[in-house]
Amino acid sequence: MAQLIQALVLGLLIGGVYALMASGLTLIFGVMHIINIAQGAFLIVVATFTWWLWRDTGIDPILASAVTAPLMFGLGWLLYRLVISRIRGQSPSMSVLLTFGIALVLEGILNVVAGNKFKSATPSYFADSFAVGPVHLPKTQVYGFLAAVVVLAGLYVVLTYTWTGRAIRAMSQNPSAAALVGVSPAGTAALAFALGSASAGVGGSILSVLYPFFPASHFDWISRLLGIVVLGGMGSLPGALVGALALGLAETLTATYASLRWSTLVFYLVIMVVLLLRPEGLFGARLREDGVAA
Amino acid sequence: MTSATGTPNQLRLLSRIPASHLAAGAAFLALALYPVVNPWNAYSQGVALLAFLLAIQASGWNIISGYAGYTSLGQSMFLGLGSYTVAIVGLHTGVNPFWLAPLGGVTAVVVAVLVGSVVLRTRGHAFVIITIALLLAAQIIATNFDALTNGSDGITLELPFWSSDYQNIPFYYAFLLLLVLAVLFSAWIRRTKFGTGLIAIREDEGKAAAIGVDTTRFKIAAYGASTFFAGVAGGVYAYFLTFLNPVGAFAILGSVMIVLSSLLGGRGTLYGPVVGAFIVQGLNEAATVYGGGTGSRVLLMGLALVAVVLFLPAGLLPTAQRLWRQRRPQTVEHTDQRGALATPSRADVIEARDRAELGDGEDRADVIAGDDVAVPLLELRGLTKRFGGILAVDNVDLTVRKGTITAIIGPNGSGKTTLFNLVTGTMAANAGEIRFAGRRIDGLPPWKRGHLGLGRTFQVTRLFREMSVLENVVAPLPDGRWRTMLADAVSGAEADRARELLDVVGMGRFAAQRAGSLSYGQQKLVELAQVLMLEPELMLLDEPAGGVNPSLLDRLKDVIREVNARGITFLVVEHNIPMVLDLCDPIVVFSRGRPIAEGPPAQIRSDPIVLDAYLGDDWRPTSSGSGGGPVPGGSVPDHELSTGRG
Repeated sequence: MAQLIQALVLGLLIGGVYALMASGLTLIFGVMHIINIAQGAFLIVVATFTWWLWRDTGIDPILASAVTAPLMFGLGWLLYRLVISRIRGQSPSMSVLLTFGIALVLEGILNVVAGNKFKSATPSYFADSFAVGPVHLPKTQVYGFLAAVVVLAGLYVVLTYTWTGRAIRAMSQNPSAAALVGVSPAGTAALAFALGSASAGVGGSILSVLYPFFPASHFDWISRLLGIVVLGGMGSLPGALVGALALGLAETLTATYASLRWSTLVFYLVIMVVLLLRPEGLFGARLREDGVAA
Repeated sequence: MTSATGTPNQLRLLSRIPASHLAAGAAFLALALYPVVNPWNAYSQGVALLAFLLAIQASGWNIISGYAGYTSLGQSMFLGLGSYTVAIVGLHTGVNPFWLAPLGGVTAVVVAVLVGSVVLRTRGHAFVIITIALLLAAQIIATNFDALTNGSDGITLELPFWSSDYQNIPFYYAFLLLLVLAVLFSAWIRRTKFGTGLIAIREDEGKAAAIGVDTTRFKIAAYGASTFFAGVAGGVYAYFLTFLNPVGAFAILGSVMIVLSSLLGGRGTLYGPVVGAFIVQGLNEAATVYGGGTGSRVLLMGLALVAVVLFLPAGLLPTAQRLWRQRRPQTVEHTDQRGALATPSRADVIEARDRAELGDGEDRADVIAGDDVAVPLLELRGLTKRFGGILAVDNVDLTVRKGTITAIIGPNGSGKTTLFNLVTGTMAANAGEIRFAGRRIDGLPPWKRGHLGLGRTFQVTRLFREMSVLENVVAPLPDGRWRTMLADAVSGAEADRARELLDVVGMGRFAAQRAGSLSYGQQKLVELAQVLMLEPELMLLDEPAGGVNPSLLDRLKDVIREVNARGITFLVVEHNIPMVLDLCDPIVVFSRGRPIAEGPPAQIRSDPIVLDAYLGDDWRPTSSGSGGGPVPGGSVPDHELSTGRG
């Protein structure tokens, strides 16, 4: 029983972190219908940077997100303005290929400057855990979860209560109508991309203490995040939240009761089953143009 | 007969083959002879052999991602599947990998079809996501299933049976043969109606479904077809390497190179992926030689991919072709007014229809045999469609009788086009039934409705712009048989029929033009020919007269009448009231999502309810003195009614 509770709580904790990471991906997709394959590479770049900061200055890796988030916000904005905006209006498959290319470039750069070996930030509390009754909660997981929740709440406030946030949501619902009421499509898209990148800034810093990583592990991460987004419904923020918690639980339960090495596969299994039964995901609305399901 | 007269003839024959095929043939000959000419250069043979391998995979990728437009980022998985199949079966049976290689292809196709039938049922982004996830999952599965795959330690295969004097020459020829087969296969697909259907899906998937393309089946078949030769090549590749492990077999970099090759050479073209593969493999080789491990190769391929997407999105071959055409502009054909305006001879239409009916099933024959006009063909009962709180179609009962040209008129927003979408299956209704020729069809996908004999044109024409006019007309599939799907689309009976239908609508001279270059009115005519190709019993025309100039309009009316005389029923949504009054009987008037009047033109013309619906309550001029009111029996001239559009 204690084992089950432990697994459930750990699943929720990691699910919260997944939710933060996936929120950026789904935000970017919602606004500009771009699947940002480079989102995983953003995480690893930030994790590497955080690891450096921690090693050289001793700054706490999770708190370092106060630095990495604004940094990624700026980089994301620049990347959108300089590169991604150039293919606006082209077929969606080109944007996938472009972000795929960007992911490879980032991986290649990391390979060259950081070396192709595993890293992991290990602050002083790394091995400690909170004991709540029979359940042991590693401090890194708890802190990571809390940071993720704070940032997600902030994101929610920005999207709901600021003009910019409303512009972003308007763009994702009806770009032409949004443009008519004074929302600049290019400016809003750049902001959304920057916000999505900033969420990867926090997510990457958290990642650096939770998991060992190396340049090519961005593919593991992007497939996890894509799984979450497919499960929740492309472009839906509540969907990403629920999808992340569900997959976090599924992963932890499999690792606890079956075997660690099969736990990653649960992701893919869940994705396939969801697509089979409910292709639009949990929260995705069927588009009006869509045909009758065969 | 001397050789002197034979040679010019042969030359003439040769000059009719496109230059690209000649170049490809010459390249093939050179590559086939290379090991004979220079047998001892193992290194260059090895590089060429890997380029063949990449080209085989890129040609396959091109079928699903170039023709059908569904990008796969995990295509190298099928090479790995082929490798593992051959290695594992070879290990247990002792059969030489060469003979087992086709089995690798079969495994690849089976996996692709299984995955495809889950992922490709819907449109959109799920496919690209799943392909990359699958590649990574395959790595994990191969690592974890150690009983079968020996885990991350990998499998060692037997050594080649031939003397080491021959080096890799047998592998060289094996891959070259597979490459030739893969390219021929791709060329064959592109020539069939299957291939035309794939391009149609890429250009406009909704429209493709409306002209009878079973989009789900086409996409799954394309995904399967894209993997076969990669799987076979994977088997041969395992034998070539004599060693196999999960990370090597399911390498992401492999997928990157496949995508990059096709994109660089020209996605959707026949030879582009091959040309691209040779360049990319050369680049890869150079990177390996001039110091650089996997890390720097990833960087290089990533930069190349970004550069190609940004600066050469069409790819080398199409870009070169475009530049060539710019330097030697072709004379532009102007509107074939005379051809288009000529009254179609009745014989033409009849002949075309007769031909169309040749390979028909019996069900169509009995419908036409019962020449009874009163028989209902399309029946709607209680049909309802809501968009949020708006009732676009409100509990509609409507019957279209066989042999009629029935019109639906009504103000904009009265639910006419939505009704069409419900009937053709573009949208699903919230409630109600649709019966066609006595059979319930709501719940059938759009293409099945097309196969039953429902054809439609669109309010704004939706031709496949990148296809030629002829290809547009060949693309529709009148039935769901595999034989029809694999029929030749470029020549033969299907293309002949398409040409005849183009002549019927007066567009025969434009057969070779790109559809996107036609004027709007011309596109309307081509779309009509396209739907006729579907051999419909009922044609739904959504504003056929919109944007068509008056002289072409007469032509259009003639065509509709002629086709109707052959027993095809029409349901027309139109704002051009003079045309409707002239052409259609009965006329149904729609307002706020439901029919409010139905009757022959004379009756509709004078129905006060109709005028109210069109012009609102205040249309009547308040005559001075006695209060205005509906003029009993008063009739409004056509031109006044037609102001109701807007």
